[in-house]
Amino acid sequence: MQRFIIEREIPNAKDLTQDQLVEIARTSNAAVESLGVPYVWAVSYVAGDRIYCIHDAVDGEAILEHARRGGFPANKVTPVVAEFGPQTATA
Amino acid sequence: MAIGSSPAGTWEGTYTRTVRLVERSAEVGVLRAALGDARDGDGSAVAITGESGVGKSSLVDALAAETVGMRVLRAHCDPLDTPRPLGPFRDLRLPDGADGPTRGDTPLSELCDLVYESVRREPTLLVVEDLHWVDAATVDVLRFLARRVGSMPLLLVVTYRDDEIGPRHSARPLLGDLASLDGVVQLALAPLSVDAVRELVSGTHLEAERVHAVTGGNPFFVAEVAKDPDRPLPGSVRDAVLAHTADVTDHDFEVLQLVAAAPDRLDDRALPHLGVDLPTLRRLQETALLTRTADGLVFRHELARQAIESTIPPGGGSELHARLLDALQAIEPSDPAVLTHHAVAARDHARATSYARRAAEDASAAGSHSEAAAFFEIALEHLESSDPEERARLLLDLAYQQYMTSRLSEAISNVRATFRLWEQAKDQAGLADAHAAVALFEYYNAHRARAEHHSDSAARIALDAATPHTYGAARATQGFLAYLRNDLEQARELAAEARDLAERNDLGLLGLRSEVVATVSDLVSGDEAARTRLLTQLEAARDRGWDELASTVYSQVASLDVEHGRLRDAEQLLQVSIPFASQRDIPICRHWQTGVRARLQFQRGRWEAALEDAATVIGDEGMPLATLWPRLVSVLVPLRRGERAELGILDDAWSLAEQIDEPLRRLSVLGALAEAAWMTGRSDPRVSEYAVAQLAVLGSCPGAEWGAGHVGAWLRRLGLPVPEVARAAEPYRLVDEGRVAEAARWWRRLGDPFAEATAWTDSAVPEDRARGIRLLDSIGAVGTADRHRVALRQEGSVVVPQRPRESTRANPAGLTNRQLEVARLVARGLSNSEIAAELFISPKTADHHVSAVLTKLGVPHRRAVVVDSARFGLT
Repeated sequence: MQRFIIEREIPNAKDLTQDQLVEIARTSNAAVESLGVPYVWAVSYVAGDRIYCIHDAVDGEAILEHARRGGFPANKVTPVVAEFGPQTATA
Repeated sequence: MAIGSSPAGTWEGTYTRTVRLVERSAEVGVLRAALGDARDGDGSAVAITGESGVGKSSLVDALAAETVGMRVLRAHCDPLDTPRPLGPFRDLRLPDGADGPTRGDTPLSELCDLVYESVRREPTLLVVEDLHWVDAATVDVLRFLARRVGSMPLLLVVTYRDDEIGPRHSARPLLGDLASLDGVVQLALAPLSVDAVRELVSGTHLEAERVHAVTGGNPFFVAEVAKDPDRPLPGSVRDAVLAHTADVTDHDFEVLQLVAAAPDRLDDRALPHLGVDLPTLRRLQETALLTRTADGLVFRHELARQAIESTIPPGGGSELHARLLDALQAIEPSDPAVLTHHAVAARDHARATSYARRAAEDASAAGSHSEAAAFFEIALEHLESSDPEERARLLLDLAYQQYMTSRLSEAISNVRATFRLWEQAKDQAGLADAHAAVALFEYYNAHRARAEHHSDSAARIALDAATPHTYGAARATQGFLAYLRNDLEQARELAAEARDLAERNDLGLLGLRSEVVATVSDLVSGDEAARTRLLTQLEAARDRGWDELASTVYSQVASLDVEHGRLRDAEQLLQVSIPFASQRDIPICRHWQTGVRARLQFQRGRWEAALEDAATVIGDEGMPLATLWPRLVSVLVPLRRGERAELGILDDAWSLAEQIDEPLRRLSVLGALAEAAWMTGRSDPRVSEYAVAQLAVLGSCPGAEWGAGHVGAWLRRLGLPVPEVARAAEPYRLVDEGRVAEAARWWRRLGDPFAEATAWTDSAVPEDRARGIRLLDSIGAVGTADRHRVALRQEGSVVVPQRPRESTRANPAGLTNRQLEVARLVARGLSNSEIAAELFISPKTADHHVSAVLTKLGVPHRRAVVVDSARFGLT
């Protein structure tokens, strides 16, 4: 599986309520489940006018298919080439 | 590395059409040139026609690939039984700044402005495909754009199958516009030749002649055959398409059928509910039958969809539609028009009724009344409830939409069908409302007696039911009808009662309506200050959004202006009011006011423009009431011009006037009958007996001074006894007193050149009469002039003017409405580019119009138009 960062442009995303996030998560889960291919939605971050999502999938096509099924924009889909953090310094 | 910029991304590439464009170089050349001009700001429209599969979309694909630096907007009309109102424009998702993409209920006028603002800012190729499935509101937007296309950096391309657009099709008015506008190109695509087929099947062992014979040269069919050259030649497009599914499993084939059952598109968001996973879609990709739009799954070609749809067994469709319905209604925002389609096909009556009602309300709010009517019809057809009130409300809603689309007879019978239902429901207020509604419909349908009967019933029932709102409205309608039959005392009394009620119950609209009824009564009786008061009331109505009332005031004032010789005022008013009625979507007023303009142009001696308006009104088959003057005009213009006239139309007009039974309407028709009798020399008892006997009565009505004066003048010319008319309007009185020069000056000031000429021909002095004949000749009324020439010669006069030669008959009478508009701007000294900007046309088109105007006016240059603007009646 490949990890991807997906940028979704949603005007005023920062104002989404908890109820709306619940609704979006339900829709996304249903889309993931319907794909019929290995797919993991890891986490998403809401920031300003964007939502940044971390997903694991076999290919970019599956990422776009998930977006279509959820009715979400996927303005930019980029494969993650490396992950690192504070612990990387001691590795 | 970014994989895609939007969800529409990668699949497009894998499903790209493989159709090669052959034998279309001429068409591509035309489109390429039009695209270049549009980029430079000189927009145009192209209509691409031809049978299904002939390659209309492929041609558009080729064009879209060449639009460097231009925005491409492409939309399709969808083959739902009742199309989604404004579907193509909603799919374009033009941002409107405030609320994001356009919604289902964006009003028509707003959407027109929105699209207009959007396409004139940025060079654009706008394609709307499959007009044979278009909805009426989309047609309105396209007409709006087509008329302005010359002034924008826009290439507007529409495609359609011309054999599927009959005379009553929603797209007809647009095709009419496209046929008459400058700068519109029609490209009719022909099937391929044998040579072209040979090119497409080259590299295979297929024999071009045989493939051509089987496919008829249909490019889609040829391409399908060429994809599978090793199979036996299919006998039909259907077989060719189905051949690609030979290896598809039953499970996957069912998915194809699901997509086929969703003719607009299968929304991507429905896929989870339908259990269609990604591996299935990948397998189906092998068939090359499907493609993806921005938000859904569709067949690559309608012929492919139909082939798959044809495999759904009888009865199997309803199960597929039920699954689609369940899946689609879980999606927000759902589209009630699409849900209606599936509910009907699933035979799910309860949901068909409820979605159809919602779809109808959306359509109505968007100004798409023919679709709204169609949806209300569906709602009624599937209504299972036995509640009489629910059925009655739906019938009234349907009737209102039918009224808005000028289907008055159907509207009337649907309202009448509610009477019994309201009684069953013991709902007197509802019954009174129904009577009040049908009263107005009957009046527009030219049945005044029935209108009065229903407004009386509405008032009586509402009084019993103690519903002041309905009672007041019924009283105001009664007052309006009384005004129309010139019973002004009663009109004022009823208006006063309605106004009191409005004040006591705080009903603003009713209050203003009542004031209008009282004020038009004042105006018709000659109180010219009432005109200013009406215009103030009109502004008040506009300010408060009471568009129908405002439009009604325009209708009445314009009509009385023409009746009473305020021709220039009427002209100014109609220039504002007709666009208002169109923009605010009040077809009945637009229809009426166009009829008033037919009369106005007629009285101003602008024969061509009058005939043009008359033909529009008669052809619109909207409300019979509006057709009275257009009918008269369509007979009197040819008579005056010495052409063949269909006199039978006057009999229709007379029957209509009898049915309407109003003094002013009767006088109008009597005047026309008398003129026709004078022109043809045929006696007519309606003139020699009825008019002679009734003129005194009709002429004593307030406001009838002009109509009665006009009839009296013709009776006198016919040598018939002219009853004493209480008050004839000033210019008629002057002629009676032999003061023809003063009368002629009056008419000149009013702007009625025919009446000016006939004032001279009414003179006893041969020189005056010769002058009148020359004047008639100069405005192209040679038919009337010839009659006078004969009479004058018979009397032995020596001053009979010669009949003018055809070539010298240049005058403003031949200008069309559009040319008149241009001529007025030329008279104001505007340049061609200023005229173009004013009229939203290209400078090239403005140039054409100006040349035509100069030719028709018989002047060498535009300065002559400025100098002689008064003589040409352009001021």
